[in-house]
Amino acid sequence: MNTLTETVERQATMSRSLELQDLCVDRGGHRVLDSVSFAVEAGQIYALLGGNGAGKSTTLLAALGFLPIARGSLLVNGQEAGTGSVSIRKMVAYLPEAVSLYPHLTARENLGYFLSLAKTQSTPKDIEEALDQVALDFQARDRRLESYSKGMRQKVAIALALLRRAEILLLDEPTSGLDPVAIDELHALVRKLAGEGKTILMVTHDVYGACQVADRIGLLHRGRLVGQFAAEPGERISTEAVHQAFAEQESR
Amino acid sequence: MNALAREWRLLQRDRGALFWAAVALVASVFAVCMGAIESQRQLSEIEALKVADEHDRNATLARQSDWGSAGYYAFHLTYAEPAAASFLTQGKRDSYPWKHRIRILAMEGQIYEADVSSPTISAMGRFDMAFVASVLLPLLVIVLLYDLRSGEADSGRLELLEASAGGSGFWRTRVLLRAALLTLAVVVPVLAGAWWVGADSRSTIAAAALIVAHAAFWSVLALVIGAWRVATPVLLASLLGLWLLFAIVIPQLGTIAIDRSIPVPALSQIALEQREAVNDAWDLPKPVTMDAFVARYPEWKAHAAIDGTFEWKWYYAFQQVGDQTVEPLSSAYREGLIKRERYLDRFSWFSPPMLVSRQLMRLSQTDLRSMLAYDEDVRAFHKRLREFHYSKLFLDEPFSLEAAQALPPFPGKPGG
Repeated sequence: MNTLTETVERQATMSRSLELQDLCVDRGGHRVLDSVSFAVEAGQIYALLGGNGAGKSTTLLAALGFLPIARGSLLVNGQEAGTGSVSIRKMVAYLPEAVSLYPHLTARENLGYFLSLAKTQSTPKDIEEALDQVALDFQARDRRLESYSKGMRQKVAIALALLRRAEILLLDEPTSGLDPVAIDELHALVRKLAGEGKTILMVTHDVYGACQVADRIGLLHRGRLVGQFAAEPGERISTEAVHQAFAEQESR
Repeated sequence: MNALAREWRLLQRDRGALFWAAVALVASVFAVCMGAIESQRQLSEIEALKVADEHDRNATLARQSDWGSAGYYAFHLTYAEPAAASFLTQGKRDSYPWKHRIRILAMEGQIYEADVSSPTISAMGRFDMAFVASVLLPLLVIVLLYDLRSGEADSGRLELLEASAGGSGFWRTRVLLRAALLTLAVVVPVLAGAWWVGADSRSTIAAAALIVAHAAFWSVLALVIGAWRVATPVLLASLLGLWLLFAIVIPQLGTIAIDRSIPVPALSQIALEQREAVNDAWDLPKPVTMDAFVARYPEWKAHAAIDGTFEWKWYYAFQQVGDQTVEPLSSAYREGLIKRERYLDRFSWFSPPMLVSRQLMRLSQTDLRSMLAYDEDVRAFHKRLREFHYSKLFLDEPFSLEAAQALPPFPGKPGG
C-alpha cells in the first residue's frame, strides 16, 4: 500500500516535465556535465545561465536524446531520456540558437515540411493560427525565409513547436542576435506559452533577459550547477543577485 | 503527405540538386546523340565505300586478262557495321580498324594496318555513354550527396531535423530520391536513344540496369561516408579520393599489370616477319615454296609444278606461305589479347567504373572480342577469296568478267 508521502512524491514527479538527477554527460572523453540536478514543472520557465563552455547546450542535446548519459538520469515527462528516444523527441520541441529552417522555402512550406517530418497532422488553418499566435506578419508568410530577420525565423520555429503540440520547449540562446523589440516580443511569447502550460527550458548567457522572463534560473559553471534562483510569486528574479553570482563564477 | 512526396517537394525547390540533375541530363543527351551520329556516320561511310569498292573493282577487273593480275590488282572491301547499340560507346572501334580493303596477297600484314580516324580520340576516348556512366555519373552522385547530412549540420538544421523526424530514416528517402533523379536523367536519354536507333531490348535493359546499379553503388558509398561526423571538406575529399581510386588508379594499375604479365607479340614483328618470309621466297628454290603450300592445300599437288621463271600460282603460294610462317605469332597475339581480356573481365570487379565501361562496350559490340571477331571474319573472307583464285590459277582457267562475278562477297554483319 502506498503511503500518503509516496503518493504526493509521485504526483510531484508527474508534474515535473523535465527532471535532471545527478546528470553526468561525457563528450570527447571529457566530463561536460557533472552531477547536475534540477527540475522544471509544467507551466514554468527555467533559464540555464552560464558562460561559453558551461554545458548549457549539452544539457539541451542530452534532453533530446542526442547524447548518451554517463551517470544519473534525465526524465522527460517521467520517461528516461537516452540516445534515440523517439517518443521523447515527439514531446519536445527544440529551437537551436541559429534557427535554420530552409531558406529557399516560405514560412508555410517550412512548417508543412517539418510537420510532415514529425508526422504531425495539421491543416492549413492550423498553420495560419499558429503563425497568428506568434504574430508573424501576414504578408511575410509566402516569402522565402532567406529574406527573414532572425526574429522572424524564431517566430516560425516557435510556430512549429506550437503546431507539433510539444509539451516541452528547449530554447538555445533564443534572444541572441535579436533587436530589443524582437527580444520583448519573444519574451512575451514565451511567457504566453508558459501560461498555456508549456514547460520551457532555455539556455542563455543574457542575465538580464533571463531575469525578465524566467520563473527559475540555474547557474551553470564548467558543467556543474553552482546556484539556483527562484522568483517570488508576482515578482521577477533580482537581476543584481544573479548578475553578481554569475560574475563571481566567471571570474574564478 | 508521405515521406517521398515531402522530400520530392523539398527537392523541387533545391536549385543546386536540380542544376546537377540538369547537367547529368545534358551530358547523357549529348553522349547519346554523339554516339548515334557517329554510328550513323560509320554506316553511311560503309554504304558509300561499298558502292565505290564495287565500282573500283569492276573497273580494275575490266582491265585484266588473267586471274593472277585480277587477284593482284583488285581490292575487296571488308567492314564491321556498328551494332545498333553502339550509340552507347564506340569503344575499341576508335583504336582498332573496322574497315579494310584487302587483296589476296599475304593477309597478316594487311589485317593489322590500322585505319584509325583520329589519333586524339583514340588516346583520349570519346564523350560517350561509357564515359558518362562510368566517370561522370559517380562524380555527379558525389556532388549531389556528399554533404546531404553535413550540409544540414553546417547550416544548423541537423538537430532540428533529427529531433522532428524522431529518427534518421528520412536520410534514406533523401538519398534515394536524389540518386533516382540523377539516374533517371542519365537513363531516360539512353532508353530514348535505344528506341531511336532501334537497339535490341536486351542490350537496352542491360545497359539501363548497369547504370542504375552503378549509381546505386556510389549512392550507398556517399550515404555511408556522408554519415561520418567529420567536416564537410573531409567528406568531399574522401569521396573524391575513392572516385580517383576506382575510376582511375585501379583500372590503370590493373591494365598495366595484366599487360606486363601477359606479353603479346608486337604487330610490327608480325608484319616484318611476314614480309621477310615473302621477300625471301623470291630467292628460294620454287619447290621449297610449293611443298610448303601443298602441305596446306594437298588438293593442288598435281598442279603445283612451276615451269617458267614466274607464275602467278607460285607468287600466291609464297604469299600463302608468308602467312603460314607468322601464323604462330599471329595466333599468339590473338590468344594473348583474349587472355588479357579474360583477366581484365575478372579484375574489373574491383573497379565498378571499369566494370560498367567494359560491360557497355560488350553490349555495344565495340569491345576487343568484337574487334577480334571482325578480324576473324576478314581472315575467313580472305581465305574464300584465295581459294576462289587458287581454283582458277591451278586449273589454268581463262579469265572472264562473267566468271569474276562469282567472286565471294564479304558477308558484312553488325559488330566489331
